[in-house]
Amino acid sequence: QQIALQRLMLQPAPTKVVCLTQVVTEDELKDDQEYEDILEDMRIEGGKFGNLLNVVIPRPSPDGAPSPGVGKVFLEYADIDGATKARAGMNGRKFGGNQVVAIFYAENRFHEGDYDG
Amino acid sequence: EAGSGTRKRKSRWADDEPKPVIQLPDFMKDFTGGIEFDPEIQALNARLLEISRMLQSGTSQSGLPLDDRPEGARSPSPEPIYDNMGIRINTREYRARERLNKERQEIISQIIKKNPAFKPPADYRPPKLHK
Repeated sequence: QQIALQRLMLQPAPTKVVCLTQVVTEDELKDDQEYEDILEDMRIEGGKFGNLLNVVIPRPSPDGAPSPGVGKVFLEYADIDGATKARAGMNGRKFGGNQVVAIFYAENRFHEGDYDG
Repeated sequence: EAGSGTRKRKSRWADDEPKPVIQLPDFMKDFTGGIEFDPEIQALNARLLEISRMLQSGTSQSGLPLDDRPEGARSPSPEPIYDNMGIRINTREYRARERLNKERQEIISQIIKKNPAFKPPADYRPPKLHK
């Protein structure tokens, strides 16, 4: 219990934005249909935890230039409560065989379109 | 018929329900889930800790709750008792310690009454029913 408490303390402060890392691959995102599917999966699953406002999945640029944040999925909630539940509920689960790591993401960076954090 | 309807495809999310972050073994649920958070038990536990600290803090200038009014102002001490070396047994510290020990045993009895799963310290002696 002590350890669990410490782990909670080490977590960065909760924000309204949850970032899922190690979720999707560049190849999956290149395909329009797959991209739409992933987006829908995220909306449905993310909506279970709270009022989900926005889902952002950065896609690789068509010319192959490196694009920031590819492989991540951002879920923006109306409140911290929803984001907190989503982070706890999605962290460690599998999405398409990948084990998801869910972290809070700075709201200001998210709104500035800075997905490379 | 290779998956004609894209609408009815399966979510990529694994089926398993989201796990609670902290999974405690069953035997611990009794402690954490309910009775441990009972405010009465918490108060008893807090007092128990306080007493243990006072008892461990040594004899002189200690945390023992001694009446520090001058001799004439406080209630009179009982008749001194000496051991066979002529050293007084029932000093003020000794009596304060005895009082705390007694209170400590009583608190532990109360906690056990409320929470039979409570594991008393090794030096706890259940009260005798008759002397």
